[in-house]
Amino acid sequence: MGRALQPGLMTAPPFIDARGITKRYGPITALDDVSFELRPGEVHALLGHNGAGKSTLVKILSGLVRPVSGTLTMAGEEVTLRTPQQAQQHGVALVDQELSLVPALTVEENILLGNVESPFLQRPGGSRAATREILDGLGLRHVAPSTHVRDLAIGERQLIEIARALSRDARVLILDEPTATLSDTEIEHVFRAVRQVVAQGRSVIYVSHRLGEVLELCDRASIFRDGRHVETRAVSELDRRGLIELMLGDVPEPSQRDGLHEDAGEVATVTIRNLSVPPRVQGFDLTARGGQIIALAGQIGSGASEVLRALAGLVPDAQGDVSINGKDVRLGSPRRCVDAGTVYASGDRKGEGLFLGHSVQLNLVATRLPALTRWGLVRRGAAASVARQLIDVIGMDRKRMRTPVVSLSGGNQQKVFLGRCLEQHAAELLLLEEPTRGVDVGGRMEIHDLVRVAAAHGNAVIFASTELDEVLDLADTIVTMHAGRVVRTLPRRLATSAEILGDMTHGNSESRAGVAA
Amino acid sequence: MSSVALKDPRRTRELARTSAPFLILALMLVAFYVLPQLSGREATVFNVFNSMQNFAALGLVALALGLTMIAGEFDLSVVGMYGLGSMLAVMTGKDSALLGLGIALLAGLFVGLVQGTIIAKLRINSMPVTLGGYLLLLGLTATIGHDDSQSYPNLSVGSSLDSVVAQIFSLRSLVAVGVFVVVTLAMRYTRLGRDIRAIGGDRRASRTAGVPVDRMLIGVFALSSVLSALAGALIAYSLATATPDPGLAPLIFAITAVLLGGVTLAGGQGAALAIAAGAITLSLLQELFSILGTPTYVSSLITGGLLVLVTIIAAPDLKQWWRTVRTRRGGPTASAASVGSSPAATVTGER
Repeated sequence: MGRALQPGLMTAPPFIDARGITKRYGPITALDDVSFELRPGEVHALLGHNGAGKSTLVKILSGLVRPVSGTLTMAGEEVTLRTPQQAQQHGVALVDQELSLVPALTVEENILLGNVESPFLQRPGGSRAATREILDGLGLRHVAPSTHVRDLAIGERQLIEIARALSRDARVLILDEPTATLSDTEIEHVFRAVRQVVAQGRSVIYVSHRLGEVLELCDRASIFRDGRHVETRAVSELDRRGLIELMLGDVPEPSQRDGLHEDAGEVATVTIRNLSVPPRVQGFDLTARGGQIIALAGQIGSGASEVLRALAGLVPDAQGDVSINGKDVRLGSPRRCVDAGTVYASGDRKGEGLFLGHSVQLNLVATRLPALTRWGLVRRGAAASVARQLIDVIGMDRKRMRTPVVSLSGGNQQKVFLGRCLEQHAAELLLLEEPTRGVDVGGRMEIHDLVRVAAAHGNAVIFASTELDEVLDLADTIVTMHAGRVVRTLPRRLATSAEILGDMTHGNSESRAGVAA
Repeated sequence: MSSVALKDPRRTRELARTSAPFLILALMLVAFYVLPQLSGREATVFNVFNSMQNFAALGLVALALGLTMIAGEFDLSVVGMYGLGSMLAVMTGKDSALLGLGIALLAGLFVGLVQGTIIAKLRINSMPVTLGGYLLLLGLTATIGHDDSQSYPNLSVGSSLDSVVAQIFSLRSLVAVGVFVVVTLAMRYTRLGRDIRAIGGDRRASRTAGVPVDRMLIGVFALSSVLSALAGALIAYSLATATPDPGLAPLIFAITAVLLGGVTLAGGQGAALAIAAGAITLSLLQELFSILGTPTYVSSLITGGLLVLVTIIAAPDLKQWWRTVRTRRGGPTASAASVGSSPAATVTGER
């Protein structure tokens, strides 16, 4: 592709031209007569609410699912993509939202995995130099190509996934929520890689819920709503508010923070003293009251999620004096912690949250079966009515009650998961890890409202987040963490984004510890 | 930062895991040499030859099963194909042993392709499919053999297959060694090995990454049945007889050898060479029992104990479980003492 970028960008013939694409899953129409074009050398954002159809379009373009109708043209040639391999042969490389790395293989093997052009004969370590170069470019200098992927942190895995797509020399790189698990420095590496790719005349499809990234990185944006293509615009004509308007159809009011409900009966009190979670966290102290929403703000590896896991009883050798509502809790057993009144929503909703093959209904009531049981048998009527209440609370269509969770979009899965965790009795300690990972703007507001309501009912909420926006939006007390230690604690109204971000990335404000509340 | 600090213990653990089957084999060799002397007997070169003869037959069955386990499946039909392979070789190879062998291998290829296609395309668990396959093959073997043992008249085939080469090998065990070498090289130096481990490690991820999952699965099952048929045909020529039912002993040998070889039921891990180590260890152990004249029930006890022990040592959660046990025993007082006076920013949330 010898074409110069900017002048040619708007006039070049599209590399991908999809017309009238329709896809149905059972009774649900995921994409309805959608058209989409991708030009060489552009970064094209796909935007939309959960279930708007972005992920389905991505899957069609990468050969994972086939549309019911519509035509797909790539480089001027009409194509039918039956398998991911065929999509690859047409020059499409996908970085899926769900990781497609095999934990049992090494980094190098994972990067070569599935590459139709990788030679039949290969020596272990044979492509080490090329692998090294790509890893370095993504800021993974410390990761050896012979490391097993199971030994990497989730952010590192996401970068390996991107490294694989880069290694394939594809004409089109599709990134589906590539930054959801990444820290800011890691995101910078991804951005740099994307810019290199388009500078070579290749194209990138960028799916993200983070509007800031879209505004910074993308040339054009296609907005989807309820399976329909709403509009495609040059990003330079848009701002954050304009994007939200297009995505939602209207601009939601920033939700008001209501204080503790008058009628909240019991109020939780939680004290944590001297919590240590080997090997990283030491001497963590915190006091929380019902009605309070506390953010543990820190990058991956800061210790924030380890603290939550320890409080949930998931770390066998975590130690510390923890009391909930005046009762001491011995850590190290999830059962004991649940009995003491903690509710933990893991950041890994697939592995530790949902029963993917089961219905929405079963997932919603899964943790409260003892209350719905008589003589060891689940009362079906009671279970169904509780599930109906919960599905209304999370604002999902009741028609989806019997849908297997695995077929929902990521955001809707997260709502089901949190719905199950949130509507418990009052006066409990809610531990939420990355409550809106991979959830779009609208879904995020809804989930934040759910959390606020839960707090208003007298629950104490502690959540861990790597995302600055979320911390500032949801918390009323912010605890910044870095390298296993608390940097400082301050009320939301005194926090500025620059300070919080500084604490999270450098943790170098010990000298200012006096600021702590 | 954290991954740098943790890299070394992980490397060590990985090394321990991959070298365990060979360590066990080394220990076994020592025991094989030492234990008979303690009871006034002696392990001879002939005993080693005998072990390798056992390995020649059952090692191949173990490899067949092990490959499907690395791919995250379980081929119960290996013994069925082992039996059918030996019966077909004896019944059709009366004039030409090679023809009989070829027919047995073709039958294996066919059975494996059918089973693999059902499992891959319909995405059903391999357990019911191959259990059904095992029973069908067993019935077929008995039908072909008129429900009786069939003898093979051309005894010279067996004696040339079993003639001693380099003191401890025979042509038959060299065939098995050769197969192991080829599979080891293929698993290590071609795309196939990586893809087999990938589909065993995470099937969905492999599919998304672009691995031709269905084709790989069908191929693995085809290879598994062909290897089983090969083992069956060779043992039948060697013994100059084929039985209508080989029993379950070969299957139990194969499973034990594969697990000793470090292959996990979860899939995604394992190497052909380590399976060979497991199979040789088990063959030596059985030979050792016969040297010592150990009663069957004692050898069962020892083999079973060894298997359970190895499985426990290899368990990934062993260390964490042990930490839990220690922490519980230490109790809350120990915890307060060990944390001590770490300088910490004390935090009190306010509203």
